[in-house]
Amino acid sequence: MSHLATLYRELRPWLRLLGRRRGRLALGALLMAITAFAGIGLLALSGWFITATALTGMLLAAGIAASLDVYVPGGGIRFFAVTRTVARYLERLYNHDTVLRLLADLRGGMFRVLVRLDGQALAQRRASEWLNRLTADIDTLDSLYLRLLAPPLVALLAILGLTLLIGVFLPLAGLVAGGMLLLLWALLTLGQARLGMLASQRRVIELDRLRSRSIEHVQGLAELSAYGSLATHRDAVAQYEQRLYADQRRLGRLAALGNALVGLGIGITLLAVLWLASLAYASGTLNGPLMVMMPLAVLALAETLALLPNAFTQLGATRAAARRLNALGAAQGAIREAERPATLAPSTPTLAFDAVSLHYPGALTPALDRVSLSLAAGQRMALLGASGAGKSSLAQLATRLVDPQAGQVTLDANTLPTLSVRTVRNCVGLLSQQSELFDDSLAANLRLGAPAAGDGQLWKVLAMVELDAWAQQAQGLATRVGEGGRQLSGGQARRLCLARLLLAEPRIVMLDEPFAGLDAALAERIATRLNDWLAGRSLLLLCHQREGQPLAALGVGDWTQLAEGRVVAAGSA
Amino acid sequence: MQQGDAPLTPRQWLQRLAKPQRRLTSLAVAAGLVVGLATIGQMVLLAWWISGVLVDGASVAELAWVAGALIGVLLLRAVAQWLQEVAGQEASLRIRQAARHELLAHIEALGPMRLSGRHSAALGSQLVEQVEALDGYFARFLPQLRLAVAIPALIAVLVMWLDWLAAIFLLLAAPMIPLFMALVGIGAERLNRRQFAAVSRLSGHFLDRVRGIATLQLFNRAEQATEDVHAAADEYRRLSMRTLRLAFLSSAVLEFFAAVAIAVLAIYIGFGLLGYIDYDPSPQLTLFSGLLILLLAPEFFQPLRTLSQHYHDRAAALGAADALVALLNTPLPKADAGRQVAGRDAGVSLNHVSVSFPGRGRVLGPLDLAVEPGECVVLVGPSGAGKSTLLQLIAGFVDSDTGRVAVPAGEVAWMDQRPLLIHGSLADNLRLVAPEASNTAIQGALEGAGLGELIAALPAGIDTSLGERGAGLSGGQAQRLALARVFLSPASLVLLDEPTASVDDETEAVVISALQALSEEGRTLILATHHPALMAMADRKVRLVNGTHVDEVGP
Repeated sequence: MSHLATLYRELRPWLRLLGRRRGRLALGALLMAITAFAGIGLLALSGWFITATALTGMLLAAGIAASLDVYVPGGGIRFFAVTRTVARYLERLYNHDTVLRLLADLRGGMFRVLVRLDGQALAQRRASEWLNRLTADIDTLDSLYLRLLAPPLVALLAILGLTLLIGVFLPLAGLVAGGMLLLLWALLTLGQARLGMLASQRRVIELDRLRSRSIEHVQGLAELSAYGSLATHRDAVAQYEQRLYADQRRLGRLAALGNALVGLGIGITLLAVLWLASLAYASGTLNGPLMVMMPLAVLALAETLALLPNAFTQLGATRAAARRLNALGAAQGAIREAERPATLAPSTPTLAFDAVSLHYPGALTPALDRVSLSLAAGQRMALLGASGAGKSSLAQLATRLVDPQAGQVTLDANTLPTLSVRTVRNCVGLLSQQSELFDDSLAANLRLGAPAAGDGQLWKVLAMVELDAWAQQAQGLATRVGEGGRQLSGGQARRLCLARLLLAEPRIVMLDEPFAGLDAALAERIATRLNDWLAGRSLLLLCHQREGQPLAALGVGDWTQLAEGRVVAAGSA
Repeated sequence: MQQGDAPLTPRQWLQRLAKPQRRLTSLAVAAGLVVGLATIGQMVLLAWWISGVLVDGASVAELAWVAGALIGVLLLRAVAQWLQEVAGQEASLRIRQAARHELLAHIEALGPMRLSGRHSAALGSQLVEQVEALDGYFARFLPQLRLAVAIPALIAVLVMWLDWLAAIFLLLAAPMIPLFMALVGIGAERLNRRQFAAVSRLSGHFLDRVRGIATLQLFNRAEQATEDVHAAADEYRRLSMRTLRLAFLSSAVLEFFAAVAIAVLAIYIGFGLLGYIDYDPSPQLTLFSGLLILLLAPEFFQPLRTLSQHYHDRAAALGAADALVALLNTPLPKADAGRQVAGRDAGVSLNHVSVSFPGRGRVLGPLDLAVEPGECVVLVGPSGAGKSTLLQLIAGFVDSDTGRVAVPAGEVAWMDQRPLLIHGSLADNLRLVAPEASNTAIQGALEGAGLGELIAALPAGIDTSLGERGAGLSGGQAQRLALARVFLSPASLVLLDEPTASVDDETEAVVISALQALSEEGRTLILATHHPALMAMADRKVRLVNGTHVDEVGP
């Protein structure tokens, strides 16, 4: 029971999400039930009808006057036949619509969780495989209703209906059938779920591991083949494959067992009902047609129960998906909003880092180790260091994408957590190292910086980064940038991101390698334009070294050197 | 693999994969037939019992043998059904294993350079996802394809014997079965194709937004983006419902015929039993034959309904095979006649070599170069001059179109800007190149690469785990780990492609002194670099411009 309680707890947030569409779910299940009952009705009534006609026919043949109304049962049979088909079609259509609505809810809900995470939690999750798993997990949960909730419920209803149908005429047979079918139901749901739980929980992880190993094998082909270790690593890939397939085999056999059990259980129930009904017929308490109707009704239940074994054998996969998504929602990394946020003066504030330390989970060494640094209003400083020295971490701290484990970051007299996140990010703008663009138009990408900006403003910032001529040649502001900005060259993407930041008009500007991929002359021209725009703002320019950067054009005088998360030198040119 | 032949088609490949496991597939089909026969037996016994009680007035005790036989048939049916599924699954598992093996072998034979046009992570996922997508086709669809013909035929023959007019009702549906199949098939395929495009567009939208979350946060646009995600998913729903409405119709037709056939048969049999029909076979109908026909009618359609349920497995497998066959059709290099392997301690000699890539023309050569054992040669020149290609040629990743390449036997130590880091401990990462290496040797190699201090500070030492792709290591640390691999490897030839690009000064200094140590060990070093400090340690500098050798500068 405690297992069930844990399972329920893990699935509860998702059940609650489903609960918002209660009406649709109920109607979908009702359509499923109508389909099931029409199937039972069709076979049961047909059996009743044939027996009744046969017995009447025998009487007539023996010269005994007998009559049978053939039109009502005949009409009933046609009604059930048509109802079953129509209900099934509507049910499939309606329930798919519901599932797709649930998918939209799930994606939206998950996204709401993700946008609350801090940069640290997100950084670990950049890899595309993680994203694939996230989507796969969400897709797994969207089948919660259609595979795991509605079918067992409808099966229970059908068992109940059948018990009543038989019980009205022969209470003992009804009870026996109900009892046996309930036991079968429990075996097919709880039993299958329990036996398949561990293996189906592992399955997704094992698939992930196999994927990682395979990617390693392809990415490392150069080193593996040079060092002669291809075979060793291929064995490692094969081992993961073996493990995955061992579980798949186990689950497959289990599901096959469940499927075989459906036929066996239905058959034995049918036999028991037939036996009791025959005894009742012999004793004269039951007529012939009803005696035939009962086992046939049991037979028709197979279709409803057949949906259960596969779905419940894989219950662990749904559970694991729910657990992973729950963990994500409960991740420590969420940035906390101040309850009564302080306000910030409209002038450019002083940005100061006071002995900040930052250690990413899983990293061997800290990213920042007691770094103190201050950027006065209007100051323009270059922050130098190799990749991994801690520059990007400082930028993340200043924009509250992460919070430090020790020390504090302040804007004038306010530590960042006392300000609203929105205030901080409106004040401090960051051009991050990766040029992140969205698969949308040029205008939509730019307007991320300033949603209300008019076309004129967009063209103005495009001109500042010299993308205006290019945009005019393409489809203007409607030009699509492709997935992740793939339609653009690296340099164009860089400049577009810079233009977007210009549009946002931050007071403190942090530029992480803004001129990467641009030729020196172009960088110089852009820097000159930035120089004017920077009047009244502060600038922190993040770059590897001073050489090759248009520092003079940008008016950058001071510099600070970082290495291995510490400030190692500082000065002014 | 397909060198010179016509390119492999997806269907051919699927057939070729199925061939070695034909016995298992046949076993699945045979078991499926037993299921069908047992089902027929079950229905016969049921009808027999009912007819016995109602028509012949037999007592339950007299019919006990029927109950016994029924239990026997039920057990047989359960076992056969289990066997059918398990055999199908086993065939599918083995086929997928073989497919993955074939693909891996092909990728390895292609080598790192010929794959550079493809995204390696995407390729790795292909090896997993698309091979797994073959599952349903081999496990379920292929056996069911044969059962969908055999079992209805068996039932039709039996019904024919019972009452040929009833069989006509069933068989009237039979010519329509190929029509259903086509209908269902076309529906499923179209659904699959459109759906696939829409799904990938939607996933693309979602992934695009998730990937850019930091940017959305920076611009305070998280709320708006959340609504966008919901709206995109809802738009997808509207689009796909339009397709689904039609696609479900085709299977509804099959359902309809199955349901109507039962209804029509029930009414025909009923009227026949009442004696309302005088036409030839009808007066001979009995409760037994009538009931049996009724019971068999749903079973006549069941295999077809099952097949239509598995139809999307076929579409999925064909889609996956399409992509995988494209990979298998990438031509393999011809056996390289110009490559010679000398003794373990030999140097490198290139004689009139040249390399060209499709679409880019000749990128290297014609070129001659001889490197003595133990020599340290630095390749310099502007980017794009062919330095990397030259290293790849020596390593054997690309072939020379002309001339001769002679290299020492055994493995080559290789290090480039993005070292391979596997998911595992630091020690696992090193043992990749020397599986037998002792902990002491690993410790020594790490110290040689300037990681001694870091390892000493780690509680788990060399057993510290790294995340995937070396998560947890900084760029400089990763590069030093790659360097430790070079130390650990016994290779006499060491090839380094820009080993100090984008690392800090400290790492650069470590790399330089490490390379000096390697050179003193007597290893042959060939490296491409822009860094003056690295150039300074060379015995000889070779300058490349436009793929050809321009001049040499002595030490």
